[in-house]
Amino acid sequence: MVQTHKTRLDFPLGLFSAAGRRLTLCCTPINSKPQTQVRLTMSEKGSVNNDTKDQNTSDLEIVNSDLTVDELSREVQDTLSVSQRHKFWETQPVGQFKDLRDASLSEGPIEPPTPISEVKQEPYNLPNLYEWVTCDLSSADTCAEVYNLLSNNYVEDDENMFRFNYSKEFLQWALHPPGYYKTWHIGVRVKSSKKLVAFITGIPARMRVRSEIVSMAEVNFLCVHKKLRSKRLAPVMIKEVTRRVHLENIWQAAYTAGVVLPTPITSCQYWHRSLNPKKLIDVGFSRLGPRMTMSRTLKLYKLPDSPVTPGFRKMELRDVPAVTRLLRAYLLQFVVAPDFDELDVEHWILPKEEVVDSYVVESPEDHEITDFCSFYTLPSSILGHPTHSILKAAYSYYNVATKTPLVQLMNDALIAAKQKDFDVFNALDVMHNETFLKELKYGPGDGKLHYYLYNYRLKQILRPSELGLVLL
Amino acid sequence: MFDWQQYAQSILFGLLFSFLLAKLFSIIFSFRDQNLRIIRANSDDEELQENKESGVDVSMDYSGSDEKQPLIVRQKDNEVIDSDDDDDDEEDSDDDWEGVESTELDEAFSAATAFVAATAADRSSQKVSSDLQLQLYGLYKIATEGPCTVPQPSALKMTARAKWNAWQKLGAMPPEEAMQKYIEIITELYPTWAAGSSSKKRGENANERSSNDSRPMGPVFSSFIHEEESDELKLDAIHAFAREGDNENLIKCVEAGIPVDIKDSEGRTPLHWAVDRGHIETTELLLSRNADVNLKDNEGQTPLHYAAVCERESIAELLVKKNAATDIKDDDGNYPFDLSDSKWPWIQPQAPSLDR
Repeated sequence: MVQTHKTRLDFPLGLFSAAGRRLTLCCTPINSKPQTQVRLTMSEKGSVNNDTKDQNTSDLEIVNSDLTVDELSREVQDTLSVSQRHKFWETQPVGQFKDLRDASLSEGPIEPPTPISEVKQEPYNLPNLYEWVTCDLSSADTCAEVYNLLSNNYVEDDENMFRFNYSKEFLQWALHPPGYYKTWHIGVRVKSSKKLVAFITGIPARMRVRSEIVSMAEVNFLCVHKKLRSKRLAPVMIKEVTRRVHLENIWQAAYTAGVVLPTPITSCQYWHRSLNPKKLIDVGFSRLGPRMTMSRTLKLYKLPDSPVTPGFRKMELRDVPAVTRLLRAYLLQFVVAPDFDELDVEHWILPKEEVVDSYVVESPEDHEITDFCSFYTLPSSILGHPTHSILKAAYSYYNVATKTPLVQLMNDALIAAKQKDFDVFNALDVMHNETFLKELKYGPGDGKLHYYLYNYRLKQILRPSELGLVLL
Repeated sequence: MFDWQQYAQSILFGLLFSFLLAKLFSIIFSFRDQNLRIIRANSDDEELQENKESGVDVSMDYSGSDEKQPLIVRQKDNEVIDSDDDDDDEEDSDDDWEGVESTELDEAFSAATAFVAATAADRSSQKVSSDLQLQLYGLYKIATEGPCTVPQPSALKMTARAKWNAWQKLGAMPPEEAMQKYIEIITELYPTWAAGSSSKKRGENANERSSNDSRPMGPVFSSFIHEEESDELKLDAIHAFAREGDNENLIKCVEAGIPVDIKDSEGRTPLHWAVDRGHIETTELLLSRNADVNLKDNEGQTPLHYAAVCERESIAELLVKKNAATDIKDDDGNYPFDLSDSKWPWIQPQAPSLDR
C-alpha cells in the first residue's frame, strides 16, 4: 500500500490530473511513454481505492490544493485540444493508437464494404447558407475559382511566410487522372453569392499493400476559407467525400497530414536542397548562420551547368512502356505503393510544362532506357516580401535507377531543376531517397509528413523507406 | 415443470436484487470517495448518457458536504465534453452543423458555459445551491439537446433522477429562451463573468483550434531547420559588427585601436564580412578607415571575389572604384570575374591572363 502511494506522488501532479480527465473520457492520448505510465497508475489506483478510501481521499486533496486555477484550466485546455483533435478520427475506421500493440488484429480492411444501396444517398447537411457543388476543373472558370480559393487559403508554414500556390494546370493534372470521378471534386458555395468557400477532392488509385491490390481514393486539397475556419467544416467535408467514394464501391483511401492523427502508416521527413541559396536566405526559407559566409554557401551549392550522365534527356511519349516497366519493378519492393500501368505513367510521369518534369537515361549504345527521375512543380507564394513573390520548388516524385548510380541520377535532376530556374528541390525520405539526401547536400526540413490509410489496418508502422508512394 | 419455472424465477429475482443492491452500495461508496475510477466504470457500463451531459453545476468547495461530492466529481469528468458540445462531431448525425451559424446569443451562451466549466474547477468560488445547479443543468440540456426524451433513470440514482427531473420539467422550452435564462442566472451569480479571464482563455483556445483546423489533412510546407553549425571559426567582435552592419560599434572598435584589417581564423577581414552580407555603408566606412581592399582570406579570395560570388553589384563597383584589383586569382585560380554569373565587364581583369 505504501508502495502504491509513493508511486502516485512520484508523478507530476498536473500530468496526473490531466491524465485523469483524459482517462475518464476514454480518449486515446498520443502514444508516448509517460502517459502510458500514468494510465497504468490510474488503474492501479482504482483497484487500491476500493479498500483504502482514506488514503485515496487525502491523495486527491493533495492534487487539488497544489493546483492553481490557471494550471487547472490550462490542463483542461490541453486535454481539450488532444481530445478534440482526435475525436473525429476515433469515430472513423482508421487504425487507432490503442490498437497498435494488439497483435490479434489482422491486416486489411477494418470494416467490410456495405451494399451500395445502404450508403447514405443524400449529401450530409451543410448549414443553411451553404450548398454542395461539384467542381468541374475542366471549366476554366471553375478551375480559376478553385485556384483562387487554394492560393489564398491553403497550407502555410508555421510562421505564415509561405503559402502553397498550386497552379491551375497542376490542379487539372492532379485531379484528372485516368478514371477520375467528377463527383469527387467537391466544393462548398455560399448559396446567395455563389462564392466558393471550401474544397476537397478524391481521385481513384490502385494501391498495392504488400501483395494485395486495393482500390483506393487519394484524398487531398481539403481547404476551408480562412474566414470559415472556426465553423469546423473539415469533418463534414471529409465525411462527404467518403460518402461519394463509397458510392463508387471504393472503401479505402490514402491521405497525408502534417499532424499526427490515428494512426500513421509511416511518418516522413522533408529534406531540402538549395538551388538558389541567396534567394532562399533573402526570403527566409533558409538562414545564414552567423559563422557562415554567403560566399561559401553559394560555393557549396553550386552545380554544374548541365547534367553529366550520358544519354540523360527529357522523357517522351515513346518512353512510356519502358518507364512503366522500370517503375513497376521498382515499386514492388515497397510495402505500400501505387500500382501504375502505362496509362497512369502517361498521365503522372510524362512531362507537362510547369507541372511535372521527367528525364530518362537512354543508353548511348543500345538505346535502352535504364533509369528515370521525375519531379513536380509546386510554387509557393512568399507572403509580404518586398522583392520576391514566388518560391519555385521542385518536389522529388518517382525515381528509378538500374544502371546509373542513384546519387548521380538525382544530382542530374538537381542540375535540370536548376536549369529550369527552381529555387529549391524538396524530397521526402521515402523509397530510396535517404541514400542520396545527405550526399547531395540536402538539409533536413522542419516539416513532417504523415501518411494514412482509411479503413485499412497495417500491423506495424512502416519505415519511410518502406513506402513507395508520393501524394501531391 | 411448474416447480422448475418457479425456481428459475426466484433465482432470477434474487440475482437481480443483489445486483441492484451491490450497485447501490458501489455508487454510494464511490460518491463518498470521489473515486474517479468508479465514476468512470459507472459511465462506461450504464451511464453513457450521463457522461454526455454537461457539467453545468457550479462548483462548491471540495471540503463541502459528502452528498455534494458526486456532483463535483461528475462535473469534472463532464467538463471536457461540455465545452465542445457546441461543435460536436463525434456522431454521424446530421445535426453536426447545428449552431454553425452562430448568433451572438450562441456565442454568449457558449462563453457562459465555458465560464461555468472554468469556475467549477475553482474550488475557491462561491457556493451555489443545488437547486440552482439543477436549474442550470436543465436549461443547458434544453439549449443543447432540446426537450427531454431520454427515459427516466431509476429512482436509486438520485442525482441522475434529479437532473432528469430538472430537464424534463422545462418541457418544450425553445433553446433560445433556455440560453437566455442560463446567461441571466450566470450573470446574476457572477455579474462580472463576461470580463473574466476564463472567457479570454476560451477565446485563445478557440484561436489555437482554428489554426489546428486549418490543416487537418493534406500536404505540409516545410523549410530548413535552422542549424547552428559547430564550426571552429573564431571571429572578433569587430567581424561580427561588420557582419551585422553595426557601424556605430564598428567605429568604436576602430577608435579603440583594434586593427581595421584584423583577420578571423579563416583569414577574413571585417571588410570581407561587410561585403559578404551586402552592407554597402559598412564597406564605405571600413574603406574610409583605410581598410586594405585587396587582402586575401585563407582561400586566396579578396573582398572583390566575395562581391562577385554574392552578386553584389554596387559593392563591387565601390570596391573597384577604391582600387580593388580585378586581376587577383584565388587559390582555385579564379579571378573575381570568373566567379560572378553576371559577368560585369568592369571587373574583367585588365591584363590578358595566360591560362584563360
